[in-house]
Amino acid sequence: MQLPKVFLFCAWCGVALAAPHIPGSDGDVLERLPGRRDDPVQAELRSLRAASNAAPEDSAAAATLARRYFDLANAEGDPRYVGYAEAALRRWPSNDAPVEVLYVRGLLRQYRHDFDTALGEFERVLSREPDHFGARSWRAGLYMVRADYASAARECAALPVEKDDLYAVACRAYIDATTGKTAAAYRQLAGALAADRDVEPGERLWVLTRLGEMAWRLGDAAAADRHFRDALALGRDDNFLLAAYADFLLEQGRAKEAARLLRDWARSDTLLLRLAMAEKQLGSPDAQPHIQALGERFAAASLRGERLHMGEEARYLLDLKGDPAAALAVGLENWKEQREPRDALVVLEAAAAARDAKAAAPVLKWLEQSGFESERMRRAAASLR
Amino acid sequence: MRGLLLALLLSCATAEAHKPSDSYLTLFADGKTLRGQWDIALRDLEYAIGLDANGDGAITWGELKAKQAEVDAYALARLSLSADGKACRLAPADHLVDDHSDGAYAVLRFRAECTPEGYGRIAVEYSLFFDLDPTHRGLLRVERPGDSETGILSPERPRLEIRAQARSRLEQFSDYVREGVWHIWIGFDHILFLLSLLLPAVFVWSGSTWRPAERFATTFWDVFKVATSFTVAHSITLSLAALSVVELPSRLVESAIALSVVLAALNNVWPLVHGRRWMVAFGFGLIHGFGFASVLADLGLPRDALLLALVGFNVGVEVGQLAIIAAFLPLAYALRGTWAYRRLVFVGGSAAIALVAAIWLTERAFDLKLGLI
Repeated sequence: MQLPKVFLFCAWCGVALAAPHIPGSDGDVLERLPGRRDDPVQAELRSLRAASNAAPEDSAAAATLARRYFDLANAEGDPRYVGYAEAALRRWPSNDAPVEVLYVRGLLRQYRHDFDTALGEFERVLSREPDHFGARSWRAGLYMVRADYASAARECAALPVEKDDLYAVACRAYIDATTGKTAAAYRQLAGALAADRDVEPGERLWVLTRLGEMAWRLGDAAAADRHFRDALALGRDDNFLLAAYADFLLEQGRAKEAARLLRDWARSDTLLLRLAMAEKQLGSPDAQPHIQALGERFAAASLRGERLHMGEEARYLLDLKGDPAAALAVGLENWKEQREPRDALVVLEAAAAARDAKAAAPVLKWLEQSGFESERMRRAAASLR
Repeated sequence: MRGLLLALLLSCATAEAHKPSDSYLTLFADGKTLRGQWDIALRDLEYAIGLDANGDGAITWGELKAKQAEVDAYALARLSLSADGKACRLAPADHLVDDHSDGAYAVLRFRAECTPEGYGRIAVEYSLFFDLDPTHRGLLRVERPGDSETGILSPERPRLEIRAQARSRLEQFSDYVREGVWHIWIGFDHILFLLSLLLPAVFVWSGSTWRPAERFATTFWDVFKVATSFTVAHSITLSLAALSVVELPSRLVESAIALSVVLAALNNVWPLVHGRRWMVAFGFGLIHGFGFASVLADLGLPRDALLLALVGFNVGVEVGQLAIIAAFLPLAYALRGTWAYRRLVFVGGSAAIALVAAIWLTERAFDLKLGLI
């Protein structure tokens, strides 16, 4: 039932706060910053900022600065950089802003899950530069998040590369693997990777992660494990890879390895979630403080009136708090915007635990129409029918 | 160009290790004095004015203290408070630190010197960090004697006006009355129970069959007795449960409520109890009271106004009930002699109610969702 506003006054009540205090000594370290002043990244940012400030009319300098902030936000998982990037582009608010501004604006909008605006910005970029690779591939990615596979396929086909280029293959394989053609997608993507000799480590990591997921869903745990390990061996910290591999390990009953993998990643919400799940399975004493920390982060985010991680929040409610009804509600809210397989899975599992098949109808419909192949998803769906 | 696609298909799963920038502004208002506490992230202060004097990537208490005057000046220049339209002068009082879920915050406590005559409303105008980070938010909480209110300050909405006094007792009371009415209105199980008891009120039992009542007074008193005993009964258990004297598991309560509807409706089709329906209303009313109590608990009971909430909610439930009776009774009385009322409404309606309630009973007792209704 919808409570009237008057009863929601106590919005802060669930948020645990430490008490304000006066530190014992001047030497007490209160906060660690992302980098020292002589850190190369900080130095680079300083010089980009100076360049942009020195030429406030220069949209290219502003876009470069904003783009650098955006990359940092992704690498470090720190959304403050997205705010700084938006500030850098403030002088160019209109739709006829220079292409480089429109493009970065699109990146920033999607980061904040404003997918409609982001698609629009990329569309404007493409109307002026039809061969803009970034805008085209972002549109493909955004359509995937929305489970609009036909539109995603159109964007893949329009990528300004040869049909057998690794990019074109990866783009198509990503769609095929989500729409019931996992085995073929796996073969093609593995083939394209083997055929391409000068693959950058970043892109190799992505392809290997996807191959790992596909092999896992095809039931070949050994191959999946090999792909994930090959990706890890590239030595790059990648949140998405770690999350995917941890999910795999957890499902394979290898919670100990998952906990070891994520030991140093508690600062990432998505990885802290998996770490706490592993610790809970192991009965570790670390589980409780981690579960509590996650709860505090979700509560703090909701104070802003923003909930960007509802998929994770639903999983947290289902697996860590044992509250399937709340998990179902949050998962369905998330499903309105984000429709990737893991968003579907949490709804199905929450609905099964809450014994509420009716609520899961939109996700069951997606499962039927997409033909997504996953043993675990099928099991969850079957238990609802 | 290469490397882009990968960034793309990954980043929708971006991890956020931190949350975006927020400050926490709490105002303590009582209509006469005004104090504030403002928690501002050290990360943000570092970006705006620079705190890390030695550049080692760590902010110490000593470094923060050295910049305290600058922090105060920077922050307070970006906040203005006014009471009933008159600007307040803000004066820093204490400096502390605190930890929030995403790191350390400087805690600035301040006094606001407003009008000496007392005030009714406070206006907050906020612009901290909006120029550096348009995604920054000021999370405002106003603590008043008796309650509190929150708001979000953003570049789109940098000004909020909030009243300085708690909601009056009368307003709080009327909120609970409204909740009570609303709950009866959306609580189909209570409505159906009441209807099952009311449907035969326009008849008299003649030993083997129902006959239309000859006088409205008979019907009226019958309804009066049923409604009153239902009310008295559920008021008793509602109060006991709200005061935590008696607590029952909600699955048991909800199942028993469904059962009460089944029995009341079946009694119309195959009468076992005819004369003393008020006793049935009383007995099952006790169960329904526990159901009301769980709603009241969900709303959150004010500790300092428990009685007010209890009475208000109860009054609301009664008002809702009376409205249903007032709509039902004249119509039923007018139609009591017709075939449509006797067969369709009375027997058919009762059977339908019993069926619906039986489905509820199954769902609630076995924790199932049948999805039939």
